[in-house]
Amino acid sequence: MGSRYDAIIIGGGHNGLTTASYLARAGKKVLVLERRYVLGGAAVTEEIFPGFKFSVCSYVVSLLRPEIIRDLDLPKHGLEILPLDGTFAPMQDGNYLWRVNDHGKTFREIAKFSRVDAEAYEEFGKAMVAMCHFVKPILDMTPPDPTSLNLKDLRKLLFLGRRFQAMNSNDRYNQVQLMTMSAIDFLDQWFETDILKACMSASGIIGTFLGVRSPGTAYVLLHHYMGEIDGAFRSWGFSRGGTGAISNAIAGAARELGVEIRTEASVARILVKNGKAQGVVLQNGDEIHADLVSSSVDPNLTFLKLMEPGHLSDEFIEQVKRYKYRGSSGKVNLALDALPNFRALPGPGAHLRGAISISPSVEYMERAYDDAKYGQFSRHPYIDIVIPSLTDPSVAPPGKHVMSCFVQYAPYHLKEGTWDEQKEAFGDNVINTIAEHAPNIKDIILHRQVVSPLDMEREFGLTEGNIFQGELSLEQLFFLRPVPGWAKYRTPVRNLYMCGSATHPGGGIMGAPGRLAALEILKDYGKGTI
Amino acid sequence: MADKRDFIIIGGGHNGLVTAFYLARAGHRPLVLERRDVVGGAAITDEFHPGFKVSTLAYACGPVHPDVVRDMRLQDHGLEMLRSEAQLFAPSPDGRSLVLHADPKRSAESIAALSKKDAEAYGRFHDTLGRIGRALSRIQTIIPPSIDRPSPRDLINMLRLGKKIRDLGPRDMHRILRWGTMPIADLVAEYFETELLRAAISARGIFGTFLGPWSAGTTTLLLLRCAADPDPVGAVSFPRGGMGALTAAMADAARKAGAEIRTGVEVTGIRVQDGRATGVVLSGGEEIPAKAVISNADPKRTLLNLVDPIHLGPDFLNRMRNYRSYGTAAKVNIALSGLPEFTALKKAAGDGNATLSGRIHIGPEIDYIEKAFDESKYGNFSKHPYLDVTIPTISDPSLASSGKHVMSVFMQYAPYKLKSGDWSQRRDELGKTVIDTIAAYAPNLPGLVLHSQVITPADLETTYGLTGGHIFHGEMALDQIFTMRPLLDWARYRTPIGGLYLCGAGTHPGGGVTGAPGANAARAILKA
Repeated sequence: MGSRYDAIIIGGGHNGLTTASYLARAGKKVLVLERRYVLGGAAVTEEIFPGFKFSVCSYVVSLLRPEIIRDLDLPKHGLEILPLDGTFAPMQDGNYLWRVNDHGKTFREIAKFSRVDAEAYEEFGKAMVAMCHFVKPILDMTPPDPTSLNLKDLRKLLFLGRRFQAMNSNDRYNQVQLMTMSAIDFLDQWFETDILKACMSASGIIGTFLGVRSPGTAYVLLHHYMGEIDGAFRSWGFSRGGTGAISNAIAGAARELGVEIRTEASVARILVKNGKAQGVVLQNGDEIHADLVSSSVDPNLTFLKLMEPGHLSDEFIEQVKRYKYRGSSGKVNLALDALPNFRALPGPGAHLRGAISISPSVEYMERAYDDAKYGQFSRHPYIDIVIPSLTDPSVAPPGKHVMSCFVQYAPYHLKEGTWDEQKEAFGDNVINTIAEHAPNIKDIILHRQVVSPLDMEREFGLTEGNIFQGELSLEQLFFLRPVPGWAKYRTPVRNLYMCGSATHPGGGIMGAPGRLAALEILKDYGKGTI
Repeated sequence: MADKRDFIIIGGGHNGLVTAFYLARAGHRPLVLERRDVVGGAAITDEFHPGFKVSTLAYACGPVHPDVVRDMRLQDHGLEMLRSEAQLFAPSPDGRSLVLHADPKRSAESIAALSKKDAEAYGRFHDTLGRIGRALSRIQTIIPPSIDRPSPRDLINMLRLGKKIRDLGPRDMHRILRWGTMPIADLVAEYFETELLRAAISARGIFGTFLGPWSAGTTTLLLLRCAADPDPVGAVSFPRGGMGALTAAMADAARKAGAEIRTGVEVTGIRVQDGRATGVVLSGGEEIPAKAVISNADPKRTLLNLVDPIHLGPDFLNRMRNYRSYGTAAKVNIALSGLPEFTALKKAAGDGNATLSGRIHIGPEIDYIEKAFDESKYGNFSKHPYLDVTIPTISDPSLASSGKHVMSVFMQYAPYKLKSGDWSQRRDELGKTVIDTIAAYAPNLPGLVLHSQVITPADLETTYGLTGGHIFHGEMALDQIFTMRPLLDWARYRTPIGGLYLCGAGTHPGGGVTGAPGANAARAILKA
């Protein structure tokens, strides 16, 4: 392999592909290496059963940065976002709460439970928009290091301080609460209806090893709210063809910009010489050289698996080891012969086109977490269900459906047994839970795929099965992500960068880490340090 | 009684007395009004059984801020602090135990019996916390800065604190940033492998809060407490004669400085005219006019009960109602005919009494404490609670007659709101749970019990005036500390009502018997 590249990107997930595209756009010669046969990482569509295409891991999109869509002209490369309207939450007593984008309808639905809450819901929406406006620039910012006296860092911190100061007292109060409180403590201040709080709090725990009562979850709530105000998409949506289509669109843009992409090219080792990354060695022994390497896989793989010891200080390695993954979720993907029939709202209908949230009470949600804390999967789990085939018929044969069930909690570390032993029991438990609300489910399942946290680790290279490449807990955000002092996409090894979800602003199909990493790399080019 | 006072202080708890002292020292004549017949608030000593005295609620100092001790010359007013030899004895159900001393080397020796690795790590942890705690110590005496219009003094304070922190170097700075929001269970797991040691240290992060060791923000509480006392588990200091002796000394100091203190006088309302506090109304209907009113009562009691809501805006009232103050702690005081024998102690070398003279930690594992917390989330008290036990009669025999002992047990978690029954019905059940829990470690305990006094969160509210039964006048959580205590924009001891101030544990730096809120409040008032 005599060919030489400017940059090698490890991992062909949406972030890796984004970094590659931005570097190529600046004229660099870029090679992307993907271990699997298919691109996309965790944003991937696979035909697991003939005719049924599953978004195997991540299943909805809302956070994809609009500037990336623009810069890379993704619609031209096949990106099409279809709306996902509403959240339907069936309850154990046969009642339900159904929130949709139509304000009037949502008002009436909530007012069935509490008129005060229906009014507060409108106010809450407005307050969250104000909060999102404060946080949005942070998503597009390389985190400053508060411990440095660097002028640029200080300026950024001052900018944030000023923005905070400029908010009115109520916004400031809400902002501080969102950054520190638990989702339930926060929501308790706004609402009295248990099902409303339970259902809303669910977005505060997705992908974390935290319960709805754990401080810090209000922030995750905001993180997921962010998508709802973006100019490009008003709401959460499906990508036509599954989430893999997003990765494919980015890959299309990358190829057009001249990026070379290889699949089934597993990196064995990052080549480091004289403290500088110089390329990679593949599993098959091939050496590929480049001026820089950017890794979109998580820090555990990047620094502890793909590097020979000796290039990093003990202190840094210690920090990398402390970075928390603690995968807490599983997926159950179903191929269905017909649609599920919910007791609370029988028959097919618009409620099946949105998200279906099994989060019947706050206590239910918190107890699901309690099980996980002590090393068991939740006996009564929180489940976020979508049926993308209703909106995008291309993913299932005519008349048939695919149903994606995101399940929490499924702790990576089990107290007893292994995930390979418990996986089917976990799947059965999920089906039984759904059957309590939609009794026909068992009769309509054609195929079932259970993805355990261990599967996510083995198949998708997500350490401990964490879907965000590391917990979105407060001490692992912004200038602390992935480790303090190394939140600017750079690493202690020169010309080695990080560009995955383990960097700011974290997980979700956002592309922001990939883009920000590319911009930092280009800055280093400008400085002549590469 | 129509003479107009310059300052009236509602409540003669330790913070109210500290504020009174500083105001008097500055030449004012503050009047302290205490509802109960004794001063001290939650820092009192009572004879709870004939011949047996105990620190009824708070049982150890926070410690009292050294400036307060010095300024009030508490020693001259009769205060004698007793230092126990051991700080913490933590028995484990398997008969092993841990004894921590002020001297980290001695602690390490005890830890080494459980884990050599942890013994070594303890020294590092002790030193790191010491460095960080000392750098943060200034935070206790800072009036939280204004966010809208920081004063020059605010900027100087923050710069000074910033410099102290910066002087620690990037490693410790990164630690502070990361630890700030971390669950304490994660922090202790980064240093130690022994569950007993992890649990004993983690207790300092959850003490008095509605949080478990896995809750984010618990490390912040450890850091805040380390700003007052950087020892990993906290030093133990009892006043001779119990906590009542401390507040008696404070009251004496305040009186000598010129304050007037009246007990048995209940304030039922704060008079407000044109947006300014003009005096207080007593239970008999009598009014005492004043230029300013300072409340040592908790923020909710002050602003939602004593003030007519008409004087406060809807946003403020809403925030105040949302200030979280549901207590989670109970207290059980036990009169004993002799000293209980801890199984784990028989196996440990050294002087048994000395080992028991500090605090006894019951909560052998992180999961044990977390499970105790779990129950409180659903409105039950812990079946296997976390307990912080002291036997003050070992170092202070004056509290009971010869050979007899008292045991003071702090119990967590006992949620203010129970799912079934009310506290008056479940009081005995709580007392029995506590005694049974200790009996698992000291089997002869039940036979020694002469009397037990159970103080539930409901008692804390009705008898001692703590809203929600919260021992710290409101939850110490990330969103209710420093510039947010009690509320963002109202953390400078002032309230929206002119001339009405707060000086209790509901203000920065919060609960624990430190006197710092009272001292800070006095400074803020004197500047106004």
